[in-house]
Amino acid sequence: MTTQLQSRPAMPQQFTPAPRAQLRRNFARRARRADLLVMTLWTSGAAAAALFLASGGAGQFASPAEVVTSLGIIAGLIGTDFILVMLVLAARVPLIDRTIGHDRAVGVHRSLGKPALYLLLGHGALLLIGYGMSSGLDPIAELGPMLSLPDMPLAFVAMGLMIAVVATSLVAVRRRFSYEAWHLIHVLSYVAVAFAIPHQLTVGGVLANGTAQRVYWVALYVLAFGAIITFRFVEPIVSSLRHRITVAGVRTVAPGVTSIQLTGRNLRTLGASGGQFFIWRFWTGATWWHSHPISLSSMPTGSSARITVRDLGTGSARISSVPVGTRVSFEGPYGLFSDAARTSPKLAIIAAGIGITPVRALLEHAQVAPGDATILIRASTPQEAYLWDEIGELAAAKGAQCYVMFGPRARSGPGWMSDQDARRGVTLKATFPDLADSDLYICGPSAWLDLVVADARAAGIHPHQIHAERFDW
Amino acid sequence: MRTRALLGSIFGSVAVLVIGWQAGEAVLASSSTTISEPQASGTTGDTTGGTAGGTGTTSPTSPDATPTETPVASGPSDGTYTGSSVATRFGDVQVAVTVANGTITDVTAVQLTDADGRSVQISNRAAPMLRDEVLASQSARVANVSGATYTTQAYLSSVQSALDAAGF
Repeated sequence: MTTQLQSRPAMPQQFTPAPRAQLRRNFARRARRADLLVMTLWTSGAAAAALFLASGGAGQFASPAEVVTSLGIIAGLIGTDFILVMLVLAARVPLIDRTIGHDRAVGVHRSLGKPALYLLLGHGALLLIGYGMSSGLDPIAELGPMLSLPDMPLAFVAMGLMIAVVATSLVAVRRRFSYEAWHLIHVLSYVAVAFAIPHQLTVGGVLANGTAQRVYWVALYVLAFGAIITFRFVEPIVSSLRHRITVAGVRTVAPGVTSIQLTGRNLRTLGASGGQFFIWRFWTGATWWHSHPISLSSMPTGSSARITVRDLGTGSARISSVPVGTRVSFEGPYGLFSDAARTSPKLAIIAAGIGITPVRALLEHAQVAPGDATILIRASTPQEAYLWDEIGELAAAKGAQCYVMFGPRARSGPGWMSDQDARRGVTLKATFPDLADSDLYICGPSAWLDLVVADARAAGIHPHQIHAERFDW
Repeated sequence: MRTRALLGSIFGSVAVLVIGWQAGEAVLASSSTTISEPQASGTTGDTTGGTAGGTGTTSPTSPDATPTETPVASGPSDGTYTGSSVATRFGDVQVAVTVANGTITDVTAVQLTDADGRSVQISNRAAPMLRDEVLASQSARVANVSGATYTTQAYLSSVQSALDAAGF
């Protein structure tokens, strides 16, 4: 292997692994940024409650009706703050993506959905009760006076939309919808958030005209919608126009698996790392309305890039037949399944099935010394051994150890392995002797991946050394 | 959650809550029904007549142009008296009181709390109740309308200032 490396004098610098101290510093910096994001999240929630206090809210707890009303207002403020935080998390802000990765950002976004909805429902209910108590009406009868307030009918519509958005995102319900139907409903959350704005500014006294609270609140909205507009719309459009990517060729790798070769301008300046993904849109009549998150399967050169995709839904089946020359727009690169997440000097990679694609690019991009990388690839059948020839070549070029596993999953022992290997007594530690000193990158179907992660944790590896990319969209 | 993130979140949250609370205390202290008397139609207003309380636009009805008719030192003089404007957190409150034959015959709202929709609604509900109470008791010493404490206090102190001006 070393001879091969020496025969390429142009690239020795690229293969010098980052020293351990450098990796530590990078990780410490990322952890600090992540902590800062967490602090910002909770502090913004507290700030929402502080707005109520700043408007003299501490004096609004004198009677039961006042207590109920005040709690209702606070619930509304915190709930709305959470919604705005969710917008920012969904905006794919580069800073957030680089810090916690796209998956975790989406995870936090999801976990905030239900609390936010409960707070907003509580807001409505508590204010109906509180207003009703102070005017001697029951909460249902209070609906009349409530709706006669300025901008309140819009706010009720917003609440209805928000219930629909969150309800269709519950795991059990979401499965009944196609991705497109779900996404269409989800986009209504923008409308819901917008419809809720007027009543906040005109009905309650907390955000009264001319107060600092109002300035802060409006600034939050500008920030959230600004992030969405900038990073979900403007940046992808500008980037797509600049790089002018088109389909250069489509090659069937295996039944149902397709590599799409792309050409474009200055693709190195996309700044993509191996292992990252883009969200692609292919502009043909049948495919333009569907976007696909697909990882790069090889590192972009100046003018070309390659993605590899397996037919998972009707949409991805159609893109396997897009004609050469099709215009492609994209959002990205996204994700922390890349060199940017490295914390340790050595590299351990486990991939299964189509999970091989980001791993292929990751390995190509990785800075490892010969002998410092170990790869384990797994497939149920030989037909599913996508790109294994390329992995083998890359491993040879990088001086990496490469193991393969075939056959159905084990029924006993480590369930992520093939049955045959589990019976032979193969263990994670035996395969990756330097595991404690490695970053472990895992990519494959979610259920399988969870088993690998559990096994790795049992082997004593730190959570921050584990980097997982789930293929279950 | 990491310890540092947890402690930082607690610190940040407590800090902004304390800041908010302190800012709120200042609001509460400064705005507890401050009475400004730029146009209390006091004793001087009686003699000049016409523009009761300077806010001529609001009470065009009966100008108290007849103060000399009844130079009674003891009883109240007839006419419409605009009370002082009372500032609350939710907007200013000002009323005009009509006095005829020694009794309060009407109380009209010149201005009610209007900082936001909810305040308008509360004042609109409370004002007729307060008017009835004032007419019934012939004084500004009436019970608080529940759920409308700020409006009640401001309304009654504006009534009282008008009654003072009328020599009630």
